[in-house]
Amino acid sequence: MMATHEVALGHHAREQAGVGSGVWSWITTVDHKRIGILYGVSAFVFFLVGGIEALIMRMQLARPDSHVVGADTFNALFTMHGTTMVFLAIMPFSAAFLNYMVPLMIGARDVAFPRLNALSYWIFLAGAIFLNASFFVGAPPNAGWFGYANLTTKQFSPGANTDFWLLSLQVLGASSVLAGVNFIVTILNLRAPGMTLMRMPVFVWMALVVQFLIVLAFPPITVGLIFLMFDRFFGTHFYDVTAGADLLLWQHLFWIFGHPEVYILILPAFGIVSEVLPTFARKPLFGAPVVIYSGVLIGFFGFGVWSHHMFAVGMGPVADAAFSIVTMLIAIPTGVKIFNWLATLWGGAIRPTTALHFAVGLIAMFTIGGLSGVMHASPPVDLQQTDTYFVVAHFHYVLIGGSLFGLFAGAYYWWPKITGRLLNERLGRVQFWILLIGFNATFFPQHYLGAIGMPRRIYTYPAGMGWDFWNLVSTIGAFGIALSVFLFAVNAIWSLRAGAMASADPWDGRTLEWRTSSPPPVHNFDDIPLVLGRDTYWREKYGRRAASASTEGGSGGRGGGAAGAQTEAYFAAGRPPTSPPAAAHAIHLPAPSYWPIIAAIGIGVAAAGALLHVAIVIAGALVTVVSLFAFALEHHRNPAHVHQDGTLGIDHRKVAMWTFLGSECMFFGTLIATYLAYRGRSVVGPHPHEILNIPVTSASTFDLLMSSLLMVLALAAVQRGDRGQARLWLFGTALFGLIFLGFQAYEFTSFIHEGLTLRTNLFGSTFFVLTGFHGAHVSLGVAWLVTLLVLDLRGRLGRADAVKVEIAGLYWHFVDIVWIAIFTLVYLIP
Amino acid sequence: MTSARHGHRARFIGLVGVAQALGGCAWDSRMSTVSPASDLARSILHVYGIITWATIVIALVVSVTLAIALLRFRDRPGGPLPAQIRGHTLLELSWTIAPALILLVIAIPTIQVIFRTQGPAPKGALQITVRGWQWWWEFRYPGLDIATANELYVPAGQPVALRLEGPDVIHSFWIPRLGGKRDVVPGRINHITFTADTPGEYWGQCAEFCGTSHANMRMRVIVLDHAAFDRWVAAQRAPAPEPSGDAADGKTIFARSACVGCHTIRGLSAGVLGPDLTHFGSRKIFAGGMLPSDAENVTAWIVDPPKLKPGSKMPAVGLTTEQARSVAVYLLSLR
Repeated sequence: MMATHEVALGHHAREQAGVGSGVWSWITTVDHKRIGILYGVSAFVFFLVGGIEALIMRMQLARPDSHVVGADTFNALFTMHGTTMVFLAIMPFSAAFLNYMVPLMIGARDVAFPRLNALSYWIFLAGAIFLNASFFVGAPPNAGWFGYANLTTKQFSPGANTDFWLLSLQVLGASSVLAGVNFIVTILNLRAPGMTLMRMPVFVWMALVVQFLIVLAFPPITVGLIFLMFDRFFGTHFYDVTAGADLLLWQHLFWIFGHPEVYILILPAFGIVSEVLPTFARKPLFGAPVVIYSGVLIGFFGFGVWSHHMFAVGMGPVADAAFSIVTMLIAIPTGVKIFNWLATLWGGAIRPTTALHFAVGLIAMFTIGGLSGVMHASPPVDLQQTDTYFVVAHFHYVLIGGSLFGLFAGAYYWWPKITGRLLNERLGRVQFWILLIGFNATFFPQHYLGAIGMPRRIYTYPAGMGWDFWNLVSTIGAFGIALSVFLFAVNAIWSLRAGAMASADPWDGRTLEWRTSSPPPVHNFDDIPLVLGRDTYWREKYGRRAASASTEGGSGGRGGGAAGAQTEAYFAAGRPPTSPPAAAHAIHLPAPSYWPIIAAIGIGVAAAGALLHVAIVIAGALVTVVSLFAFALEHHRNPAHVHQDGTLGIDHRKVAMWTFLGSECMFFGTLIATYLAYRGRSVVGPHPHEILNIPVTSASTFDLLMSSLLMVLALAAVQRGDRGQARLWLFGTALFGLIFLGFQAYEFTSFIHEGLTLRTNLFGSTFFVLTGFHGAHVSLGVAWLVTLLVLDLRGRLGRADAVKVEIAGLYWHFVDIVWIAIFTLVYLIP
Repeated sequence: MTSARHGHRARFIGLVGVAQALGGCAWDSRMSTVSPASDLARSILHVYGIITWATIVIALVVSVTLAIALLRFRDRPGGPLPAQIRGHTLLELSWTIAPALILLVIAIPTIQVIFRTQGPAPKGALQITVRGWQWWWEFRYPGLDIATANELYVPAGQPVALRLEGPDVIHSFWIPRLGGKRDVVPGRINHITFTADTPGEYWGQCAEFCGTSHANMRMRVIVLDHAAFDRWVAAQRAPAPEPSGDAADGKTIFARSACVGCHTIRGLSAGVLGPDLTHFGSRKIFAGGMLPSDAENVTAWIVDPPKLKPGSKMPAVGLTTEQARSVAVYLLSLR
């Protein structure tokens, strides 16, 4: 277990591990704590940008018929405000805590893939900078953060504005999915001994749920954005009504992502509150398993409610009723969480720290946002509330009252752990009250404004509608929020310079992060702790009292028996439990790497090239590909990386591949579903039955199936250590893949000769994009196999490396299975 | 001292303002969602009311419990460690089941109203086709051969069946006091059915962001009693009146300029991209309902539409102010 980190490599690796403090050490860092800080600082900067956008909008709306900004500027401001706050502020704020705290809370030394973690951050930064660069070329996105097609098509939005938006969202999505895979593997596979799933802190649980949501929810919007990109750049017809397209396609794809996204934004805050309340009530989280299950249920239901964003589009009464009921069901686990938090406070010994203020603020404010959400779960009511300021009020109560209050709670709670200094508690409480008052002054009146008919996204309104006074109040309130954020910045700077030094455990915490110094050493823990139950560190500190109470509790008794026995054992021994101590010099830490930032720069360059010249796209892509190869092969021969088996008893890389393939299922599922939804809607030919060549495609399908067989043989050969056979079968698999690609090239050219291209009709658009992306996956697989083959030829693919062939095989088989689905659904079913 | 007194006064005025606004928190303003004037809006308000009260009760329960917990369970220095209670199955079950019951109370009327309000239009309903354009509303009465813009005339007490069509991007038709919104989606046909209660003027506007001048896509529904509605229909069906004097010049200018490419005036032109102007003079508002129809506004509009309405699809067609004034006089004469 934990082999990555405990194989002795001597002093060398440890000195390499980015202990320095220069700019270079930050650029090349792969330390999860530093990456967490990078996320946090970036998020705060973009949070300020989004906040300034909001303030300008509020100034424009303070009076009727005002001219602070014009229509186009205002439309750009609300588009950028929404996009920025969702993708560049709240998500990376959560990512900051996630990065910093999850490994500490599960007793790990880093994440499963530290360099991949750095790559996620740099790609995020590239996307964020690219999005905001739009301001500097005078083309900020202006079609709303959910960019409804067909307003976003070239016909109605000819400028580069929407291109900036769709390209940066794809870049940001890639960053999120990579991070999602990384953290799922980390949480499942890097837990300290004894940290069973049900002993994991609730914050870690919520992080896990959120990562699953990210991995599964981003592919649908990615596909939607790819369609939009193809429509805008290559003339396809996915959102072209005259070609037979259905504009609800975009709305479905967007909200299948968009609703889980709401939980991606709120669940980390719920997790933070579930840590803060017990600490400051000095009492365990009430019904922790139920809080965990309800978080999982919220995530699960979150995929089944997207259409409640679409009650006004006319889906018909049956769909309206069904989505209404599922939406209302989500209120149950959400309510359960709130009651469990209340019960946690009840009977506790509450210490009113700033962190507790924000956590309690979340309970109160999120309750309002949750309840107004229940109101528009009812379609008839929603038809009056949607797209009005009532909804604006609702989601700000969720995202500020929920997410932001939670994130501030986390900031005050974990700041001493991260910086080693305390924030000023008095200033913190002042900040809390100003935020609470400013926030309510801004957004509570918006419920009323919505109820008396003020639509959202209007840059101006006439006098005499009854909207004037409360708009003015709302604007004044917004400056209260700004003041509060300013005070936080003041507090942070003051603390870094002159704040009181923090002990390792300033709050009398309950979880493992408080068991190591503040800030923690590069390797987090000298000895990996042994985990004996929920709130394991509290049990260590308070011993029998805490432990015995746990077995009396109602639902907390789960797994208490075994833990109880262990607890007795270590209390008898009289010292805190750890796994067998590893000598400090034996701790292997990942070496810093500059390849992540270079790969990210390549992606940013390619995105910019899409707006400038195709040569720049190619240059950027080349940089990315080269650096990813360098990245992959950088530590190829590092013996510390040979065995990466974790808590699940499975290699990290295999868990990662399975997770990634789950994401890919959603990707291809969306592409195939679109093909099926658009089947028969083309208004001009050629139609599928006139052109598909089933005998030829049957041959290519057979070829691809056989390649899977060769892949199995290749893996078996590598596992046996039979290098001759390994080479033969790897070569064979790649060759069969190439033959399949040859078939596809033949098919594509013959279709083009027969007059079917991407631009011909909906069939052409859906067919070429679906099979084209599959072909791209096959190409990637061939490149991967060839890389393995080259490694083998150079004698670097021994038995110990079998897992590398195994994950390539998993990918290869998956791509084959996808083809079978495509072959059946596209070619065989008439 | 003066400034102190000034400050007091400002504060006092501020307080009065708050009190007035709260006391007079007018729930019956022009676009109120809670002041119904049709069967549809009343059905919605019925559910709206039930849910609002349910949520207020829940909010009170949560906030009172929270307040009591915060006041009662403070940490006392040197106090004992609180009992480490980890859960209580019965309690947790009960606060899972209670919300489920409340949701049932909300769900039942919700489902009833969904099906009641989305059924087919009753026989004898007045059929009207609504088209949302960037950024104005077109209303066509297929049985009556009438086309108008931004002002929708309907009779009180008679069911009205709106058929929503989208010629460009997605819009959303919304007259809050007459009912909830329904999107106007290109490539799909949506429907709204309602019966207005009493004569009056009801305001609405586009509720789905549709581009630059989304904020300027407003409309009014004018509900008339039956006799007045019949008179209106007769007037709209009549041919455009023949102009004289300045208005006659305006007609000439209109007929030979780019106007005819987009606008219909029955007997003169047949454009379809802009509003039908046959009875332009009978409308109180124009330009997507953002401006009152008077000679000054119409003239300024004709000279440079995008100046008044950002992004306007109607370009400046190169008329002088003088010519524009003649055209305006002509258009306003089309009553």
